[in-house]
This record gives sequence, structure tokens and C-alpha cells, in this order.
Amino acid sequence: MNKLLSSIKLFYHKLGSFPWFYNISSKFLPVSSALAFMILCIGIVWGIFYSPSDATQGEVYRIIYMHVPAASVAQSIYFALAIAGFVYVVWKMKMAGLFIKAMAPIGASFTLLALISGAIWGQPTWGTWWVWDARLTSTLVLLLFYLAIIGLYSSFDNKKSADQAVSILAMVGAINLPIIKKSVDWWNTLHQPSSIKVFEESTISPEMLYPLLICILAFYLLVFVFGLMAMRAEIAKREMHKDWFRKIIIKND
Amino acid sequence: MIFLKSFFSREVLIYSKKTSNVISPVIFFLICISFFPLAISNDPNELSKLAPGLIWICILLAGMLSIQTIFKEDYDDGSLDLFYVRGFSMLQVVLVKIFVNWIFTALPLILLSCSMVFLLYFPIDKLFNLIGSLFLGTLIISFFGALAGALSLGKNSILASAIMLPLSLPVLILGSSASTYSNENITFFILLLSALLFFSVPIISLACIGAIRLHYE
Repeated sequence: MNKLLSSIKLFYHKLGSFPWFYNISSKFLPVSSALAFMILCIGIVWGIFYSPSDATQGEVYRIIYMHVPAASVAQSIYFALAIAGFVYVVWKMKMAGLFIKAMAPIGASFTLLALISGAIWGQPTWGTWWVWDARLTSTLVLLLFYLAIIGLYSSFDNKKSADQAVSILAMVGAINLPIIKKSVDWWNTLHQPSSIKVFEESTISPEMLYPLLICILAFYLLVFVFGLMAMRAEIAKREMHKDWFRKIIIKND
Repeated sequence: MIFLKSFFSREVLIYSKKTSNVISPVIFFLICISFFPLAISNDPNELSKLAPGLIWICILLAGMLSIQTIFKEDYDDGSLDLFYVRGFSMLQVVLVKIFVNWIFTALPLILLSCSMVFLLYFPIDKLFNLIGSLFLGTLIISFFGALAGALSLGKNSILASAIMLPLSLPVLILGSSASTYSNENITFFILLLSALLFFSVPIISLACIGAIRLHYE
């Protein structure tokens, strides 16, 4: 037990080091991007060509293989940002601040993707591009929070205070998001309830569920790859003039 | 305790000397309110239906303008540096500043919104609901605004609005529902608003202190 704890501690300390992360991520990157691409292809092809069409919605429903993964990823990234913010505020781990900086634009783009794909889906099924329904509104607010984080970060010249400010905002936003969600719920909702449930039986048929789960997995892997790339770029930006970084550049040349 | 008292009287003195800080939100609020009948309709029925939402939006915007600069003057002239360096309790500084700002900028607006019974044909039987929800809601909004102001010290003010407005969304929803629904449901929304207030006071004031501190690191 103690051994496990100390190895976790060691991993945590290693995670805080930029050179270690840069080296290890360069090994992970090709494998995980190939994996993400493969799984995404499997999920999309299965979903679009081999899964049955929906009884009420026909073929239109297939945008679910884009919409649900994007929405789920968008929320998870915000949750991750809040955890990173907590880690930064409490332990002043530089990597956590960098993580927020790198992930916020990715999260914002997936939120936007979820909103746009939802609008495209809503047009034929609900007959409107946009409704002020609980889930749509809270996703829009999520996008606003991402934009606020990006805007706040870019207003600082000093990276350290930018990280600190963004961490505080990410934490407060994460506390506030459930409240917003609950308060937005007062309007009765047009959106169909979630089809995937963890503890109960899903209301979606398994032939549609499996490609959907694969697509969700693929999107998480995709976020992992994008995140690694963005973090490496940010490390390169911050550590441009450090010795270890120059050595890597020279070695690669 | 002595510090609390003297700091409180200092803040009150500042606001009573700089009357423009107190008057401009009031003017802004009146102008904002008077634009809605011009832009939408002057039909009393329609206006009285829209009134709670309009009052809340205008209060939110007016409050946003006044609360964001709450730390700005002290930051610019260096008194905030002194409070920080001399080891005064930042919690007291933050709480007193927010509370005094609320007294001088939000209270006049709350009193003024009684006149919306005439201007926007707000239904008079729901006036108590409106005033009650405004009392709680403006306090919560003040805390969120102070956090936004503290995070964006020395930056442009549009950034502070972009931070504050999404945060104050639940207040807007709960507050305007509290002033729209009939009297049976009012306690539910008032209780939720007070829960939000008691929940956000400790968390947001701590976040405020952290946000002020990051400008001195």
C-alpha cells in the first residue's frame, strides 16, 4: 500500500516537470493519435453505414455519433479544468496552469461543435435550429465560461498570474455550473432525456449503443491527443530559451 | 474590530464624497428601463408581463457597472498595496468594501424599482416578492461582480463583464421567477436565493482574496 502511494507521489512529481513530460509525450503521441484515428473511423463507419435507422427519426439521428461524444467531452474537459485549477491553487503545480491554458480552447471548440451539431439535428426533428431549452442553454453557458477563461488568460502578460487567475475562475465556474444547470431546469425541457444511463438499463438499442460508445471513446482519445499537442506547443513557447529544450531541438535536427 | 470600524467609516466617507458613484447607476437604471417601452411596446398588458425580467436585467447591468470598479481606485492609488503589505485582514477589506458598495449603489436601485409599478405597470400585489428577491439577488450579484473586478484589475472592463454575467445567471433566473410567479411559489425561490447567498459568500470572498493576491506576486 505504501509502495503504491509513494509511486503515485513520484508520478505526481514527475508530472510537474516540463522536460519529463515533453519527452514522454513525444513517445505517446504517435501511438495514441493512430489509435484515436482508427477507433474514430470504426465508430463513424459503423454508426453511419451499419447501424439500423431510427424508428421515428429515420436517418437523421445518425448525427448522434458526433453530437453526444462532443457534448460529453465538452463537459468533461471543464471538469478537468476545475480539478487542474484546484491543483494549481493548492500546490502551485506549473503543469496544471499550463493544462488549463492548453485545454480551454479545445473545450470551447468541442462545446461549439456540440451546439452546432445539435442545431443541425434539431432542424429536421424539432423544426427549429435553436430552442431555449435547459440543456441547450446550459451548454451555451458552458461555452461562455470557456470564452471567459480564454479571454482572462490572454489579458495577462505574466504567465504566473494568468495561471492563478484562470485557476480561480475555473474553480468558481465549476461550482456554479451545477447551480446554473439546476436553475435552468425550471423551464420544462424539450430535449430528449439522456439515452445512456450508467446505473439503469439504457433506452437505446444495443445496435446503436455500441457504435455510440466507440465514438465517445474515440472523442476522448482525440481530446487526449489534441491536449498533448497543445500542451507540448505551450511548453515549447514557455521554455524556448531553456537549455534542455535547445538540446532536444539540436538532437532532432 | 477597530480596523473593521475605521475601514467601514472610510468606505462610507468615500462614497458620500463621490456622489457620482451613487448617482450614475441610478441614472443608468432609469435610462435602461425607459428604453424598453420605446423599443418593444407601450401596451400596459405586455409591459406588465415583461416587467419582472426587465427590472432584473437592468438591475444586473447597473450593478455590473458599479461593482466592477470596486477595487480599481484603491488598486490605482496604491492603498490596496498598503492594506496587503501591512497585513490587514483581506477578508475584512473585501467584505466591507462589497457591503458598503451594496448599500450605496444597490439599495437606491431597489427603492427605485418600487416606482416600476407606475412606469412598467408592474403588478402591485407582487411588489413584495420583487423587493425581497432583489435584496438577496443584488447581494449575490455584488459578490460575483467583486470577484470579476478583482480578477480583471488593471484590465479593460469588458472582460470583467464577460466573467461576471455567466456567473450571475442563476440569480437572474431565480430572481425573475420569484417576481413572476404567484405568492404560493415565492418561498421556494426566496429560499433558493438565500441558499445561494449563504453558499456564495464564503466561497466567493475567498476567491476574491486569491484574485487580489495574484496581482502582488
